[in-house]
Amino acid sequence: MGSISGNAYALTALCPIRKGIVVGEEIAYSDKVRDNLQNWNILPNSPMAQVPQTYLCRYFVLDDVYTESLSGGSAPDTLNDWLPVVPDSIRRSAMPAHDRLQSSYLVFSCNLHGGPKGDVDSYLRGMWNAISGPIREAWGYCYGFDQVTDAASFVTYMHKCMLPATLFFVGSNDDPLPEQLKALYLKQEFSRFAVANQGLDAATLRANYKSFIQRVAPNALSFPTWEPGKYQP
Amino acid sequence: MTKQLDLLDIQGNVVRAFGRFGYPVARYVCINIKNGDGGRNFVAEVTKKVTTSVDWGPGPDQVPQPPWTVNIAFSYQGLKELEVPRASLMGFSPEFAEGMKARRDILGDIGPSAPDYWDPVWRDNRETREKDIHILIALNAGAPGWPANGKGLLETANEQLEMSYQWIKDVIARHSECVTLLGGHRGDDGVLLDYQDGKVVVENGQPTAKEHFGYTDGIGDPAFEGLHESPAYVNGRGKQIADGTWAPLATGEFLLGHIDEAQEYPPSPQPVLLARNGTYMVYRKLHENVGSFNAYLEEHGRHYPGGKELLAAKFSGRWRDNGAPLVSAPDAASKQAFDAKFNMADEATRDDMLSNFTYDDDMSGAKCPFSAHMRRINPRASLQMVRDPSDPPGSLKISKDAFDTPGALVNRRRILRRGLPYGEVKDPTRDDGNHGIVIMMLNADINRQFEFVQQQWINYGNDFRAGNDKDILLGNHSVDDRFPSKAVLQVDPLGDEAPYILSRIPRLVETRGGEYFFVPSMTALRMIAKGMIDPT
Repeated sequence: MGSISGNAYALTALCPIRKGIVVGEEIAYSDKVRDNLQNWNILPNSPMAQVPQTYLCRYFVLDDVYTESLSGGSAPDTLNDWLPVVPDSIRRSAMPAHDRLQSSYLVFSCNLHGGPKGDVDSYLRGMWNAISGPIREAWGYCYGFDQVTDAASFVTYMHKCMLPATLFFVGSNDDPLPEQLKALYLKQEFSRFAVANQGLDAATLRANYKSFIQRVAPNALSFPTWEPGKYQP
Repeated sequence: MTKQLDLLDIQGNVVRAFGRFGYPVARYVCINIKNGDGGRNFVAEVTKKVTTSVDWGPGPDQVPQPPWTVNIAFSYQGLKELEVPRASLMGFSPEFAEGMKARRDILGDIGPSAPDYWDPVWRDNRETREKDIHILIALNAGAPGWPANGKGLLETANEQLEMSYQWIKDVIARHSECVTLLGGHRGDDGVLLDYQDGKVVVENGQPTAKEHFGYTDGIGDPAFEGLHESPAYVNGRGKQIADGTWAPLATGEFLLGHIDEAQEYPPSPQPVLLARNGTYMVYRKLHENVGSFNAYLEEHGRHYPGGKELLAAKFSGRWRDNGAPLVSAPDAASKQAFDAKFNMADEATRDDMLSNFTYDDDMSGAKCPFSAHMRRINPRASLQMVRDPSDPPGSLKISKDAFDTPGALVNRRRILRRGLPYGEVKDPTRDDGNHGIVIMMLNADINRQFEFVQQQWINYGNDFRAGNDKDILLGNHSVDDRFPSKAVLQVDPLGDEAPYILSRIPRLVETRGGEYFFVPSMTALRMIAKGMIDPT
């Protein structure tokens, strides 16, 4: 299935936003959603850093489809340019109409660790349990979101909005997130070890390496490690 | 028919690195214009003396080689003061309009390289109208016929330099209500001067082509169509085409108004005559921390297998004494063989030995490290790297057919280098002397060429699979002890040696000033001087 690649799952949901004006403010619901999302940039870190097994994700508000040129240009049109046998008015009326979206959409696109069976439901339950507040900030104005009150109803809602869009951003190595973060931590610490111990004799090196391994504890996934969402040392 | 350039229309510093043509000293002056009319008159008078790219010769129909040369360039603010029409101004590149100072985050001019520490003349530029640098005038002086015999050359050159400086001061004096010479260039002992001097490094009384870390500089300038050079000049300097042979780069990579490597005319201001045969110049004053360099080289030279001079070569990609490329002379033994051949060779063969090479046989970096200066500023075909998962770690191979030519990733990142070292090293254990280089880089597109190389290849290592590691010599190495800078000197993947890690690399080079300039053609100069630019 398109959304699964190894252990990675590409979740893409398009959630229609209701038409309306925010009470007490002169701002449309869709613009308010965008404003809420932009305010996340001011926080110390993204709320999504608290959602387990998140590799990389994106949120944006989609106002309408984006077009760069007029429709048309298929073979019959080209043929008609060369030999205009069909009157222009008939030709124009036969051209495809411009597509328009019927509402703005909140788009949530996420690459996550779903395991070999692509267990997106567990991911979504984990997401609700971690950040139900921010979820309401983003989804609160969407059609049908008033039916969402708990993790189970959040999963049901998201399944209604999901598309098999197969948007894989990240060349991740498929392991669960805690493993990847530990690997990142170990790589950095080992580089520092290599620099600090360059050229030492075998006995000292062995002793230093032993202390190093004790300190970084490769098999202890939760500590010490690189925190999820951390983006600078 | 091969491309012919209008050499009489192109300023001389574009086609020639004057330092290699018998002009061992230079002086750069910065000028502020008080009003457009007077400024234009000043430009008109200077233009009469501007040196072009014409071939010099003694014949009746030829232009004799002058004892001193004059070239002129303008900042965006300068073109504005000279009342170049707004519609023309808008056609110059955004980075040119912004100026180098505003681009500090892209260029990595942070910490000790930040504009706050620049020489006052550069630091105060773009702050108030009165201290804006509008015009840069470059004077180069010497004695035609160098480098035959160094004796007496420098005295003669300095005399000529003073004459050229006196000439420009006289011109400025005649236009003193309209132009000012801006002072504030730091010289010896922090003294502020009205000019920036450049001069070759002298060793044992002889002028050399070296800079203050001891490296032979100025090798391997790009070869482009229209230059009057021997056919062999393109080898190593031009671009590699599909069959591996060398061809000259498109002129439009270095001159506006000519087709570039994308088969298009480079984006230029209107009208065509304002831009054609002109180019952009990046002026940077780079202080060299000689004390830190020497101390660091000593310290690591003690531990590095292969010794100090090989280590110095690994920093740069060339051996210090004669510029032998590491890919041709990767160790002491091969260097000896190289030297033997080099010392007996004629000029053309020497040139070939120095410039004509690729990294095809060095995809592991064992000969020339990935973070060596040379490899970073001109990777030749070596960015097209692949590795088979079954190969030992570090064994990269060149992917010959990745793009339509071996040079595809690098042809549009080449830069013409001009300029000279400045100052002298009086105490090689100290950083705070007056010593460095003034480099003027010429390219048709500041952002695509200079800024790209500076940001992506000098201050960052991703394209070289080196993470955040920087160019060992030029990189803006961290001055924060918590996040020290490092570089890896690679070794043969099949050998027993461990790679050598250069740890805690100090900042070896600091920016002390700079700006983006436009070097107009002679036609454009005359039009600017007459106020006759019509962009419609």
